[in-house]
Amino acid sequence: MLTVVGFLIVWQVVTIVGLLRADQLPPVTDVVSSLIVSLGQPTVWLAVGRTILTLVIGFVVTSVLGIILGVLLGLSVPARKSATVVLETFKAVPAIAVLPLAILMLGSTPAMSVFLIFFAAFWPLTIQVIYGVRSIDPTSLDAARSLGTGGVRTFLVVIIPSASPYIVTGLRIAGISALSLTVIGEMVGGAPGLGREILIARNNGLVMLPTMFAYIVIAGVIGVGLLLLLGYLEKKVMFWHESQRSLARPVDLR
Amino acid sequence: MTSTSASLRSLGRTGWSTLLNLLLYIWLPVGLLLLWVAGSAGSRSPFFPPLTKILIQLESLWSDGTIPEQLVYSLSSLGMGYGAAALIGLIGGVALWWFPAADRAARPLLFFLYALPAIAVLPALIAIFGTGQPRQVAFIALGALWPTLFNTMDGLRSVDSVKLDTATAMHLSRWQTQKWVVFPAALPQIVAGLRASLQIAIILMIVSELVGSDRGIGYFILQSQSNFAITNMWTGILVLAMLGLVLNVVFVLIESRVLRWHYRSRALERTR
Repeated sequence: MLTVVGFLIVWQVVTIVGLLRADQLPPVTDVVSSLIVSLGQPTVWLAVGRTILTLVIGFVVTSVLGIILGVLLGLSVPARKSATVVLETFKAVPAIAVLPLAILMLGSTPAMSVFLIFFAAFWPLTIQVIYGVRSIDPTSLDAARSLGTGGVRTFLVVIIPSASPYIVTGLRIAGISALSLTVIGEMVGGAPGLGREILIARNNGLVMLPTMFAYIVIAGVIGVGLLLLLGYLEKKVMFWHESQRSLARPVDLR
Repeated sequence: MTSTSASLRSLGRTGWSTLLNLLLYIWLPVGLLLLWVAGSAGSRSPFFPPLTKILIQLESLWSDGTIPEQLVYSLSSLGMGYGAAALIGLIGGVALWWFPAADRAARPLLFFLYALPAIAVLPALIAIFGTGQPRQVAFIALGALWPTLFNTMDGLRSVDSVKLDTATAMHLSRWQTQKWVVFPAALPQIVAGLRASLQIAIILMIVSELVGSDRGIGYFILQSQSNFAITNMWTGILVLAMLGLVLNVVFVLIESRVLRWHYRSRALERTR
């Protein structure tokens, strides 16, 4: 906590001494008072609500489709081989490059943001799920088959839990990129939400600069909330897997 | 004689299965590409011009120097930004691993900066640095350094304790232990971090050109879109897609060289 206080003090001193002018960086005290004022206004809450809603919809759509396709591809070797090049290619393509196209086709809407989220997060998640399915001990799949367990039940009871270390990592990565794509869609694409409010504040000049910084702080709080939530869910879901996790968990932090 | 023909026969068989395997890998991407060519051939849709038209446009924009000029600018921002991110991430990661107290103290602040979507900081950086290239470089560096930083720190910290005990038993000095045991063991994870940083840096390079910029491929795409020069927009998208692919392939090639020993030992372990 000490460094946070130190950081804020340095910020304040830099602005008071005049190292950075007020039109470059407003003093902490101004930002804090703007933060308090804006938290009392419905605009901010509405914008935050819209951002979170877009984020959740994009994340859920991507997760459901990514997990289903990943499992299907993971279970069949020819299907996986056929899809590998396409998945890896789309994963390497920076999703943000299609933003102008998405704006043309879908306009400055939440749907455009959801499309962006999907286009960015779907490929890495699917690849991660495939890894997870391939890591399953074939014996447990054979056992399920010989016990006559049906497709859906095998999916829910055998495949998903066995592949979960990889799936959970994939979901964490997808969640983080979903948040940044949401804000990008709002800030560059003009979809309603906190990102657009940041840009509007910026375009309203010097008076609104502290407010803009206050909104940036709110965006950071959303990010922290998301990471803590994903970490919490991971612990909740994976508690039984803890012992294996350090071995099974692939190193990929994004 | 018989053994030669047998080995020839088996060679033939592996040759066939390699070919089949290759076909399995490429039929879908090739098919999709052909589908794009055929499906867009007579296209009158304003959003999806024929692929052939896009490629012809790409050729002419490439040879008249429009695209190379923007590309050079984008790549210079990317190079400086990613270089700074990698350097800060590596040095910072080593420093925080070496001084656990500093790590504990800095954690809340680092966590906040990491969790903050990088794009949200962009207007603040524009306010501080103005709209030139330094702002873009700072933006790329600030957004992309986290995977390298955290992976370096985690990689160094999670070295197998058996290896450390072995080093002690062999009377390696502290420096020798770092050099021969800790750093090699952490390297795969550090490289994974560098790779994730590169992917983020490419995205942020584009974003930084979409907001408050007047140069670069990202700017070119957005400008073409707002002028309804849709074919130009598509050429820009293709260039960025190729850029992402090429940089990824280059990284994987370098990675497989640097980490060759690691993959070999892993492959050995699997055969055991």
